[in-house]
Amino acid sequence: MEFNFLESLQDIFTLSLAYATIRICISIVFAAMGEMITERSGVLNMGVEGIMLMGAFSAAVGTHFTGSPWIGLLIAAIVAMLIGLIFAFIAITVKADQAISGLAIYLLGVGLSGYLLQAIFEHGGNTPKVETLPVIHLKFLENIPVINDIFNDQSVLMIPALLLPVLLYVVFYKTPWGTWLRAAGENPKALAVVGKDPIKIRYVAVLAGALLAGIGGAYLSIAQTSLFGERMVNGRGFIALSAVIFGNVKPGGVFAAAMFFSFMDALQYALQTVIPDQFFPREVFMALPYIITLLILAGFIKQSKGPADITNPYEKESR
Amino acid sequence: MDKTRKFLLKNQAVFTSILAVVLAFLMVAVLLIFSGRNPVEAFGYFIRGAFGDVFNFANTISRVVPLLIAAIAFIIGAKSSVFNVGIEGQLLLGALVSAVVGWGIKLPKPIHLPLTLLAGTLAGGLYALIPAWLKVYRKVNEILSTIMLNYPAFFFNHYIVLNVTPLEGVIPATPFVQETAKFSNLVPGTRLHAGVIVTALVVVFAYILLQKTSLGYEMRAVGLNREAARFHGIPVERRMMLAFFISGCLAGLAGAVEMAGVHYRYLDQFSPGYGYDSITVAMVGLLNPFGAIFSATLFGALKTGILDMAVYTQIPRQLVTLINGIVVLFISAKSIIQERFMQLVKGKDPISVEEEKI
Repeated sequence: MEFNFLESLQDIFTLSLAYATIRICISIVFAAMGEMITERSGVLNMGVEGIMLMGAFSAAVGTHFTGSPWIGLLIAAIVAMLIGLIFAFIAITVKADQAISGLAIYLLGVGLSGYLLQAIFEHGGNTPKVETLPVIHLKFLENIPVINDIFNDQSVLMIPALLLPVLLYVVFYKTPWGTWLRAAGENPKALAVVGKDPIKIRYVAVLAGALLAGIGGAYLSIAQTSLFGERMVNGRGFIALSAVIFGNVKPGGVFAAAMFFSFMDALQYALQTVIPDQFFPREVFMALPYIITLLILAGFIKQSKGPADITNPYEKESR
Repeated sequence: MDKTRKFLLKNQAVFTSILAVVLAFLMVAVLLIFSGRNPVEAFGYFIRGAFGDVFNFANTISRVVPLLIAAIAFIIGAKSSVFNVGIEGQLLLGALVSAVVGWGIKLPKPIHLPLTLLAGTLAGGLYALIPAWLKVYRKVNEILSTIMLNYPAFFFNHYIVLNVTPLEGVIPATPFVQETAKFSNLVPGTRLHAGVIVTALVVVFAYILLQKTSLGYEMRAVGLNREAARFHGIPVERRMMLAFFISGCLAGLAGAVEMAGVHYRYLDQFSPGYGYDSITVAMVGLLNPFGAIFSATLFGALKTGILDMAVYTQIPRQLVTLINGIVVLFISAKSIIQERFMQLVKGKDPISVEEEKI
């Protein structure tokens, strides 16, 4: 069998690759934006993956039993925030090591979703097929060639995902909330002096982060696919964490990083389908997004500056 | 009364750990009740399945073997402030490489078996050098890097098993190893094998390394306070690299021992998450090699006991992973458990509680 690599390139770099990038990025953008809010307040939540898993799981279950993916999404949001609350309590109030409590949230997400899946449906693997959130088709886009191919017929969640970075930019830098949020992560003592409670702000930031991670997870089970499969988040939570580091904990940067990682994932799928297995093992492509993410972290992290007070629990001044 | 109090105070870390586990199990019991299961009945089947007779007990011990070695791997890292969450990937690579060496080479047993284990050990150690380098010299958080490196390891093994080594049947696995690369079985009809001896040696090795050598002292100093260690002239970077390497080596060894003692080949997806369980085991064991013996026994029992429980009660066996998560959650929040516990023991006097902490 002949195989011409150069010829196959035009089968890889197509508009459908761009479409797939957007399709894949929605989940990662939600999770990364959420984690960015959390980290800005001075808390590192390494449990994003676990919260995404629970979001994906409860969205599918909620949709299965109510028939409405919107109710599924709502349930995912509530469940994600409950788990966020557990993490916030342990990380902020109990002042536990954030890396370890984040790890616990990850393990909890894997265990709880796996256990409940089996307990509810009496078989492992995955849930039955469920309804998905609507896909939006905009008539006026049909006349714009490239834009139409990339952005039309995506899930309705694409719109908030693409607006979120802009919205968060405005909140971060143009509103008093953003100032307080950043102060909680940079210098919580100074914030307390002006009468704002850093603990309260960190709680809100962790809950907001969990909410967005939950929606990012829900997207996987009730939009990108139409069921929940055990461990279906597959490291996306950790890729979102990497995007926050790579993007310097800033809305524009994190969004760009999330897009880049999503592109790598889309490219990986395209390479798998275009290049025959006997010429290049597909396992190499499957490992690619993780390896590239690590290479990028290795190259960029030294310049990356997060909030000054990250992972430090806030202690009230005692006299 | 005073004596018990003193005893409780002196061993407060141990009691806090036990209390965290008990609380976690109570929470699991509540969860079982909510999902319509009977926790008492479940517990009965669990005990019977784990310790009911010689066979079940031997099987429990065989589960302790990889768990304990992997937990020691985590402990050696954590003592030097290196959180190796990539034990799962290193363990898989160790099992694969040892399976290949055990199958492809013909040697007398006294050389072949150690060589097989050594190959797996080095595979795990070398793979751990990647996140080690990323952490020490590029400041990449090792939890992030090690978890992400678990995926390429899995894909690599999958590829080797399907495309490089010959397939003997439908299950994705390497061929069986030579007789000379197997641990002898200790209790026929069970999975208990002579690898237990290796496990005991690993525990002793970890104790001696951490407590009796200057190298171990330096590694612990790095873990306690990096800047102070640097000030005292300890080569912090090199000690962290070493801790990561040893941790990876032991993870690889855990995989190799499991391969040579239980499966006799590399079986795709043979590990029921030993690498992740080992984190829980290490933390419950207070990052102490001897403490890990107790917690590994508990979680080894969980692994065998849950099988009986799943058969008789329709409680999903994923319960083990769930228990893991809840236990780590309680362990990470143990400072508050410890505080309450001390208040209970000493009477409500927060000031003296503070004193006791020092």
